[in-house]
Amino acid sequence: MSRLLIAASKDQLEPVIRELYRSHVFHIEDFVEQKEEGYEGFRIGMPLAGADSVSRDVLRVRSMSSALGIDPGAVEAGAKTSSQTLRSRIDSEFSTLEKEIGGLNTDRNKRETTVREYEQRISELKPFASAPLDMDLYRGYDRLSVFAGHIPGDVTFTVPHEKFFTDTVPGNFLVVAVPSENRDDVEQTLLEARFQAVPIPEETGSATERVAWYTSEVTRLNAEIESISARLIEKKDAHTAFLVACDELLTAEVERSEAPLRFATTEETFVAEGWVLSEQVAELSDSLRKATGGKIFINEVEIDYDRDAIPVKYDNPAFARPTELLMDVYSRPRYRELDPTLMVSIVFPIFFGLILGDVGYGLILLLMSFGLGKLLKGEAVGQLLDTLRNASVSSIIFGILYSEFIGYALPWKPFIFSRHLNIGGHSTGHGPQVIELMIVSIWIGILHVTLGRVLGMVNARKLYHGSHATKVVIANAGWIATMWGILVMIWSMFPIPVMPDLTGFPVVALGLNAAAALGAVFVIGGIVAIGQENALELVEIPTILSHVLSYARLVAVGLSSVAIAMVVNFIAIGMLIEPQLEQFTPFGVVIIIAGLVVFLLGHLFNTALGLLGGGLHSLRLHYVEFFTKFYKGGGQKFNPFGMKRRFTED
Amino acid sequence: MAVETMTVEVATASAMGLKALGAGLAVGLTGIATAIAEMTIGPAAVGATAENKDMFGMALLFTVIPETIVIFGLVVALLLLF
Repeated sequence: MSRLLIAASKDQLEPVIRELYRSHVFHIEDFVEQKEEGYEGFRIGMPLAGADSVSRDVLRVRSMSSALGIDPGAVEAGAKTSSQTLRSRIDSEFSTLEKEIGGLNTDRNKRETTVREYEQRISELKPFASAPLDMDLYRGYDRLSVFAGHIPGDVTFTVPHEKFFTDTVPGNFLVVAVPSENRDDVEQTLLEARFQAVPIPEETGSATERVAWYTSEVTRLNAEIESISARLIEKKDAHTAFLVACDELLTAEVERSEAPLRFATTEETFVAEGWVLSEQVAELSDSLRKATGGKIFINEVEIDYDRDAIPVKYDNPAFARPTELLMDVYSRPRYRELDPTLMVSIVFPIFFGLILGDVGYGLILLLMSFGLGKLLKGEAVGQLLDTLRNASVSSIIFGILYSEFIGYALPWKPFIFSRHLNIGGHSTGHGPQVIELMIVSIWIGILHVTLGRVLGMVNARKLYHGSHATKVVIANAGWIATMWGILVMIWSMFPIPVMPDLTGFPVVALGLNAAAALGAVFVIGGIVAIGQENALELVEIPTILSHVLSYARLVAVGLSSVAIAMVVNFIAIGMLIEPQLEQFTPFGVVIIIAGLVVFLLGHLFNTALGLLGGGLHSLRLHYVEFFTKFYKGGGQKFNPFGMKRRFTED
Repeated sequence: MAVETMTVEVATASAMGLKALGAGLAVGLTGIATAIAEMTIGPAAVGATAENKDMFGMALLFTVIPETIVIFGLVVALLLLF
């Protein structure tokens, strides 16, 4: 990364911005007015002329796109339109198109509002349709009060009244008209009978007829809405390419015209500072000189690694590129820091495979990653699916090694330690080798953590200077010594399978044998080395144990997934399907179908769990146990000025 | 109530039963412990992520830290059973 300072007179502002935008390699460092030394008198620039009209046009394009339901991200890039043709089409077609789309949209909205209103009327009128009265007879009396509403049961009134009751509608319906002077009595009676009044609609004529009229109106309006929608879809099909191209062209223009807001300017000149990949400096300088006819000053400024926020662009082989997403989720590496992406891209799938080592689940996830890749678009999604693809391939490989297929054994013995549990009495081979597997996972932990500490030393040299760097390096060596010292001491006291047995050495002092004594020296030396950097770090010493033991999850989570798969198989096949197949009965068919449902649902559930467990736990082992040993992160994304043009060209 | 004779089979079976009980307790209790620990981290993590999407990685990290407790429980259970 190189830091460039570009200065020119203000009349070169537009060609410079245009060239920077076109080249798409210059990461602008925003100028902030804070009266820094050397920047007195500089102010933030003003947008280029015409910025507000272009912004308005962008708004118009976006509102049209949203009215038509166009999502530019989901549109496949087709043939590119040239900016010239596009601009002339914007001048000639824009207003008409806007008017058409706007008109159609307003028409549709208006009809939709009316439909809603009419549907409300219909629901209000519905109860009255059961009463044989015209709607005008419900109101307009001087000396009569009318009540209408729902009531749990019929009631009798002691005062003179006219009443209609029906139980043919849900909640029953009661209409009663009484002289106004008896109003209070009737209200009291109705209240006791749990009467719920409904508002009397302002309508005339029979309720049934009105309902029929409104219904026909709603049908008619809905048909009109359908046809308007169809016309909008026609418009969408016809103009999507044009609108996304306009969006791109105008967005580019807005970004260009607002670029001076990120520059430092004086009355007559401007200064742009930013970052370019070192190999592109010469090319960019040449093209800028050409664009301005040489009236420009370009200087490569020396980088101050401690103060400058240097943007970071990943430089990884294609294989590791999807993993950059996992790195960004944690934090992008700093500029001078070691980039562990490649390491993660190799180790993450291995951990995933160790946990979910099953040919069947691996195949399901592999198919899923390809299937979703067809459906979903977008850079981050693609990276995620590529990571899933790598992980599921690793899962298949480990499935072959473990000899597992959705919980069943494949027709060969496991090449590595067996995870076949004894569930339902169908154990094959020599049963699960849990202890051995657990110790292997601890070994993986020991090596991974040691690797982390070694990287910690490398990183310290890269990030810090002088005595601080040395101290951090020694502290990291101290952590390694402490861990291995503890390990040697354990080995010299207890014989553990798959680990060196050091119990045979002669005892030298305090009941410790030679190996244990050496281990103790390592531990003490290590603790001193840790303490010299920062004594507070000493409280972290127990994490040596907990972080290494945490790798046991590679086996524990994996075994739980195997157990679920085997239990599902046992319930579905062993308990439900097999007994029915032996004695075939009509009722047995139902049980067999139930067994199939259990089988499918169970394995679906376990696939989801396996994906979550395998993914999250592998990720966590990296984030918590591995990265905390050496990784700082906090790098800023390299975001060059300009855009990848998908729909337009010059 | 008849006094049951303590045969070898009965003794092994009851030892196995107690092991299974212990394993169940190890997973269950550590699961509850993890849940209690994550109970306060979870909402804070969700809140932080809602405020600032860049926090997602860190939030996930903090949320899964107590998972170690239940993993230890699972390890103990597996060691007991096999």
